[in-house]
Amino acid sequence: MNIGLILELAKRDITEKYSGSTLGALWNFIYPLVDIFIFTVIFANLMGSRLPGSSSVYAYGFYLTSGVVAWNAFSNTVLRTATVFLDKKHIITKVKVDLSSFPLYIAISESITFVVTMGVFLFLLLISGYGVKPLVLFVPLIYLVQQLFAYSLGFLIAIFVVFVRDLREIIRIALQFWFWFTPIVYVYDILPEYVKKIMIYNPAFTFIHAYHSVFIYDQSPDLKAILFLCLLSFAILLCAGITFKKLERDVRDFI
Amino acid sequence: MMRVTGISKRFKSYQSPADRLKEICFRKKYHRDIVALEDISFEVQEGETLGIVGQNGAGKSTILKILSGILLPDAGSIEIDGKITGLLELGTGFNPELTGIENIYMNGTFLGMTRAEIDEKKTDIMDFAELGEFIYEPIRTYSSGMLMRLAFSVAIHAEPKCFLVDEALSVGDAYFQQKCMRKILEFKNTGGSIIFVSHDMNAVKTLCDSAILLDKGRVLDYGDPKTIIDFYYGMILKKSHMGNAEVEVVKVSDRKGGETSSTSTGEVKILSFNILNERDERISYIESEQTVKFVYEIKSLKDLSEPHYGLHVRDNLGVSVFETNTYCMGIKTPPLKKEQVAKITYKMKIPLSAGNYSLSVGVANKGYDRGSFEEYLLMAHDVDILKIISRDDSIIYSGVFNMNPKVSVQ
Repeated sequence: MNIGLILELAKRDITEKYSGSTLGALWNFIYPLVDIFIFTVIFANLMGSRLPGSSSVYAYGFYLTSGVVAWNAFSNTVLRTATVFLDKKHIITKVKVDLSSFPLYIAISESITFVVTMGVFLFLLLISGYGVKPLVLFVPLIYLVQQLFAYSLGFLIAIFVVFVRDLREIIRIALQFWFWFTPIVYVYDILPEYVKKIMIYNPAFTFIHAYHSVFIYDQSPDLKAILFLCLLSFAILLCAGITFKKLERDVRDFI
Repeated sequence: MMRVTGISKRFKSYQSPADRLKEICFRKKYHRDIVALEDISFEVQEGETLGIVGQNGAGKSTILKILSGILLPDAGSIEIDGKITGLLELGTGFNPELTGIENIYMNGTFLGMTRAEIDEKKTDIMDFAELGEFIYEPIRTYSSGMLMRLAFSVAIHAEPKCFLVDEALSVGDAYFQQKCMRKILEFKNTGGSIIFVSHDMNAVKTLCDSAILLDKGRVLDYGDPKTIIDFYYGMILKKSHMGNAEVEVVKVSDRKGGETSSTSTGEVKILSFNILNERDERISYIESEQTVKFVYEIKSLKDLSEPHYGLHVRDNLGVSVFETNTYCMGIKTPPLKKEQVAKITYKMKIPLSAGNYSLSVGVANKGYDRGSFEEYLLMAHDVDILKIISRDDSIIYSGVFNMNPKVSVQ
């Protein structure tokens, strides 16, 4: 594994996407900021959406933001990792790269966006008077586990995408459903009992709920669930590693 | 040093890529095997160049891809104590939106250089590529020659132990090709190994210390470049021959003890070959700039409607010095009946510099286009050697031949 290469790729990933435009890499951060703006100002102030049991005007906006920012990092990492072998075909088929660590650059690049957006979010929390609790110190931990999960899952899918290209579209749709099946836009409490029961099997609920606990509900995140997610991620990673070892030759032939 | 042992590669041809997964799940065969390489072994010592020749589809590109680590072999191993880079037609992984400089960094990182190393070598890389102000432009604005220059420059400066070169080099203009060649030789002299894949047989002969002839993924022959190339020409003869007679590639010792390799369909036999001077005396050496006659007799074992006869002069490295045939010279030749004997005489002045030259002859039928034939019947390599000694009253010169200049100084 070549750390230098992965960091260089991550850097390029951020600068390349908008190369040629005047604002360049700044666009990577403008999009999430627009999201935050819409969630807090439009939803909270104009539409008057309220979070049940909270008196703050901004509570719902912040609820939405904390969930969406984390979800975006997660779903982008999964989606882009899953399609990385086809997207980066022009590199993989030309120079020697270690395919198993190559996609890490995506997780890193998404993390940079996440950190910047989180920074702005924290700033908003402070100036709006909503406040930031020491509980936010859990955020790096939650995020780390979340990205480990995202990478493992994305990498496992990536191997199969090479063989079944339709998976690329299927995963896109699946992520859409997953988003709406996770309490990000709505709150957990409004769900019917039977859905609540299934919800504990939704790994995305684990980390999204953890962010909500920390930012909105002033509670310590469910560490047991996070540990479980962590173990699940390692299991998937192991599974992906074994599959990759068995199929690497074919993956390279088929790309 | 680089050692390749028993490399095999099969491509599995599936109806769709998903069949590969079906195969794993149902343990049933869904593919057709295409043998790309079968048990390839060779060694390249430090400071040595290995040539790989073969027809299209022989497996040359697959070898390069495996050596460069893009594909994994099914069996076999590659041992090398360093990295392998190269200038390959398969490309470089450049990003068209990035500038030349940015691509140097990106590509250098791919080739295993650290940032500090690239910082240090950046100037050398830029100087060698000679792109001027273009180095600050996105490389989508580059011509293919410029891309090649940049790619070559990064690859050779990445301190490889082994360098791969294929036809991509021919994209550059003559000046840059020469520059690349010099750089490659310099690399070779400092102990680097080179693998050279080309259809340019003269280049293979001059550059390589040994060569491999590949055919359908197998090593047909492995040895000194000259033998390999004669063999290769023999194969082409076999392929272009449209009759169904068996082609035999034989190596026979001629009367002077040297080795002659002759490729023939068996339908034309060479009966004799002689080198004569102006007085029709047989000779084995002659002074430069004298007139020489090459006389050979052939017998055809079938009717030939438009037979043509060729002569090929090569130097001791096997590099072609002169080659022509009656078709290319626009000479009308009478048809040849079965069992008829034809005697061909090439009379010419030989202004070549001193040395040993080998002579080859060929017979083909029905010419078309610029020197192609419908049927190639005989190609006899190195049927004789002519030694040329320098002429006492000649000017002193070096090079291939005496251009006999008229000089005036005012």
